[in-house]
Amino acid sequence: MAEEIRMPKLGATMETGTIGTWLKKEGDRVQAGEPLLEIATDKITIEVEAPASGILLKTYYGPGDVVPVQEIIGYIGEPGEVVPDSPGAVFPAGDEIPQPSDGKIRATPAARAAARRLGMDLASVRGTGPKGRIQKEDVEAAYQQLQQQVKATPLAQKIAGKENIRLADVQGSGIRGKITRDDVEAAIAAKREASESGESRVQTRKVEGMRKIIGERMSQSAFTAPHVTLVTEIDMSAAVELRKQLLPIIEKKTGFRLSYTEIIMKAAALALKLHPAVNASLKGDHIIFHDHVHIGLAVAVPDGLVVPVVQDADRKGLAELTAECKTLARMARENKLTPDLLSGGTFTISNLGMYAVDAFTPIINPPESAILGVGRIHEKPVGVDGSIVLRPMMTASLSFDHRVMDGAPAGAFLTELKQLLEQPFQMLL
Amino acid sequence: METYDVAVVGGGPGGYAAALRAARLAGSVALIEKGPLGGTCLNVGCIPSKTLLRHAEVIELIHKARQWGIETGPLSFSPEQMLARKNRVIEKLRDGIAAVLKSRKVAVFQGQGVVHPDRTITIHTPEGMRTIRAGSVILATGSQPLIPSIEGMDRVRFHTTDTIFDTARIPKSLAIIGGGVIGVELACIYSSLNVEVTIIEAADRILPAEDEEASRFLHQRLTKKKVKIWTGATVQEMRQAGDGISLTVKDASGGVGSHHVDEVLVAVGRTPNLSGLSELRLEMNGRFVAVNSHLETSVDGIYAVGDLIGGCQLAHVASAEGMVAAANACGQRQKMDYRVVPRCIYTLPEIASVGISEEEAKKRGFRVRTAKYPLSANGKALAMDEDGFVKIVIGEPYGEILGAVMVGPHVTEMISEISAFMYLEGTVEELAGMIRPHPSLIEAIGDAANSLL
Repeated sequence: MAEEIRMPKLGATMETGTIGTWLKKEGDRVQAGEPLLEIATDKITIEVEAPASGILLKTYYGPGDVVPVQEIIGYIGEPGEVVPDSPGAVFPAGDEIPQPSDGKIRATPAARAAARRLGMDLASVRGTGPKGRIQKEDVEAAYQQLQQQVKATPLAQKIAGKENIRLADVQGSGIRGKITRDDVEAAIAAKREASESGESRVQTRKVEGMRKIIGERMSQSAFTAPHVTLVTEIDMSAAVELRKQLLPIIEKKTGFRLSYTEIIMKAAALALKLHPAVNASLKGDHIIFHDHVHIGLAVAVPDGLVVPVVQDADRKGLAELTAECKTLARMARENKLTPDLLSGGTFTISNLGMYAVDAFTPIINPPESAILGVGRIHEKPVGVDGSIVLRPMMTASLSFDHRVMDGAPAGAFLTELKQLLEQPFQMLL
Repeated sequence: METYDVAVVGGGPGGYAAALRAARLAGSVALIEKGPLGGTCLNVGCIPSKTLLRHAEVIELIHKARQWGIETGPLSFSPEQMLARKNRVIEKLRDGIAAVLKSRKVAVFQGQGVVHPDRTITIHTPEGMRTIRAGSVILATGSQPLIPSIEGMDRVRFHTTDTIFDTARIPKSLAIIGGGVIGVELACIYSSLNVEVTIIEAADRILPAEDEEASRFLHQRLTKKKVKIWTGATVQEMRQAGDGISLTVKDASGGVGSHHVDEVLVAVGRTPNLSGLSELRLEMNGRFVAVNSHLETSVDGIYAVGDLIGGCQLAHVASAEGMVAAANACGQRQKMDYRVVPRCIYTLPEIASVGISEEEAKKRGFRVRTAKYPLSANGKALAMDEDGFVKIVIGEPYGEILGAVMVGPHVTEMISEISAFMYLEGTVEELAGMIRPHPSLIEAIGDAANSLL
C-alpha cells in the first residue's frame, strides 16, 4: 500500500502550508528521511522528509500551491502501484469509479496543470468527467467562457486568443471599460518586454518562499504601523571591558564566545522588564502588555532573514544567552529552526554591527511593537569632563509603533538601555 | 471686453461642431464667421452638389426608364427652379444651424476675426470693430479653392466651386480642370444636363487617391455618358476666345492641342484659409497649420481643425476634429482617431470607401486578403438595373477588417456598416455571420465576407 505524504502541521497555529520546491520528481526513488520537498509557512521555509522509502508515485501540487495541513500532497510506493489521480479521491479499485466523498475539488492532473497555466481557479470549473471530476477540457472551456465574459471587442478577443493573453488581466480603455485591440496589443508588448528583459543578462528571480514572506510581512508592518525611530549614542567602554573579562570564562563554560549581541540583549531584556509599555503587542482594539520578555534575534540566512526567539531573556545569564543565541543562529543558517523557535517574540534586536553601519531605521517585526537596531562600535571623539577623548561609541535606534506607545515611554526605555550598557554593573541590580 | 471660455473662428462643419460641443462642456462660447453659417460644405460644397446630383440622378433614371418601357415624353428642366430648390435646401440647413447655436447660447459674431497671440480676437463686423477675449481659441477657418498658375489665367473668367453652384446659365460645353472628387461629381451633374464635359486630369487616372478598380469603373461610366476624360494631361494656357475660353492642353503623349469650351471649372484642390491668423506665427505643416494629435497648434491654448490642418479635408472629419478640440479646450485630453473615416463620392454610380486599401495594408506589413463581390450577382441591384461591386480587405491571422471600397447605388449609405464593424472591432467572421435583409444591396457585403472565411 502506497504511503501518503501529507502537508505537515509545523506549529500550533499553522493551518495551511505553501508548497515550495519538490526536491524529487514523480518516478524518483526516495529513501525514508531524505529531504522530499520544501514547505513555506508564514514564517519559514522548511524541508519535509520522505515518510517512507520507495518510488515517488504522485505529487498533487506544484510550487506556490497553498494546501491545508494534513492534506495528502503525494504518495510514495512500489513501482506500478495505483494511486488516485486527485488528492481527494480514494484508491481506484478495478473498474470502479471513484466515489465522491467530501467537498474537495476533483480534477485530473492535466486539468490542474491547465488551470495553473491559464490561471484558473478549479473551484470555478464544473467537471464533466466521471462523478463530476474536472478534466482538462472543462478547464479550457471555462477559460474560454471567462475570456468572453470580459467585455472585449471581437478583434481584441481573437488577438488575445492567438497571443495567449488573459483578457481578465487586461485593463480596457474603450467605452465603459471595453477591451480593444490597442489594449491587447499593449499587453502583448508588455509581455514581450518582460520576456525580452528575461533573455538579457539581467537576472530575475520569482519572489517566492522566504523572500515572499519577508516582503509581505515587512510591507504590512511598514505600511500599517506608524513607525517612529529614536536614536541614541552609547559609550560602550564599560561593555567592551565587560566582554573582555567575561569572554574567556563563558567560552570555557559553554564553548561559545560572548559577543556584544548577548550583552545588548541582556540589557534590552532588563530594560523591557522595567518599561512594559515597549514590551507590548497590538491585537485588534487591545494592547497586550506581555509579562515575559522573549527577544527575537534577526539572523541573516542565504536569501533571507529569520528571527529565532530567545525565551525569557531577562531571566537568563550571559553564559546561557550566549549558548542559546549561538545555537539558534547556527540552526537558522542550517535551516533547522522549527516554527516553535520562531514564534512568541515580544521584541526584536537587529544587529548590523559587523558591517560599516553606524545607524539604521529597523522595521518592526509584527505583532511586536518595537525593534532595536544596533550599529557598529567604533572610536569617536566625545566630550568627557571638558576635554575631547576617544571612546568606543555605538548607535542604537529604536523603532516603535506609535499606535501602541508614544515617544516618552520609548525614550525612557532607550535611556534605560543606554545607562545599562554604559554602566553594565547596573544589570546586577 | 467681453470674455468667453472658448472662441471658435469659422462657422463651417468643424467650427459649429466645436462651438456646440464647447457650449455643452464650458460656460460661454463665441463663434465668429465672416460669411454665411455652414461654411464651404453647406454653402458651396457638399450640400449644393448633392442637391444638384439628385437632379442628375432623376434625369438619368428617366433616361433609363425608357429602356424598361416607361415613357415620360420629352424631358425638359428648369435650371432656375433647380437652383431655387438648392438654395431652399441650404437656407433650411443654415437656419437649423443658427437655431441650434442659439439654443445652446453660443454668441455668433458676423465678421472677419483677427486672432492675437494673447487669445483676444478683433472682429471686423459690419457695425465696426469689436474685441473679445477667450480662454481657448479653436481655429476652423477652412479652405478656399486652390488656383493653379496657368498662363493667361488672370485674363479669363473661370469658375470654382465658389461660383458654379449659382450659375443658372447652362453652358454647351464645360472643361473641368482636375479629376478628383469635386471634378467627377460636377462632371456627373453637368453631363446629365446635356453639357459636353471634358475632365482634364494630370495624374494617370481620375480619382488618383481612390481604389484603382473603383476609378476605372467610374471612368467607364462617365465615358458612357459622353464625358471626355483626358488623363496625364495638363492645361498650358487659357485664353478668352469669343464667348468661350480656349485651352491649350498638353496630353499624355506630349502632344499639344487646342480645346474650345464655353466654361471652365477649376477643381484641383483646396488651400487653407489663413486670413486673420498671421499674428499667431503658427508652426506650419506644408501649406497647412501644424497640430499634434490633441489638435493643439504651436501656440498655447489655440487649437485648429478641419481643412485648415489638411488631412482628408472632409466635412465629417472636420466635425469630429471640432469636437475633440472643443473637449480639449474645455480641459479634457482627447486624441483624434482617424482610423475609421468613410470617404464618399456621390457620382452616378456612387463610390464609398473606409479604412485602408490593399496596397496600403501591404505597405503597413499586414498579411492581406481581399474579396470582391460584383453587384451583378446581387438580386436587388439587378432589380434596380444597377451595377457596381463591394471589395473588402482583411488582415490575417485575426480576420481584422482593414478597409472596404464599394461602387454602386447607395454605397455612401452602405459604407457605414463596414465603418461600424471596424469601429467596434468586429472581424470578418462577425461580418459574414450577421443576417441582412433579402433582397438588399447590403447583402453583397455579407457575400464578400463569406468568401473570405
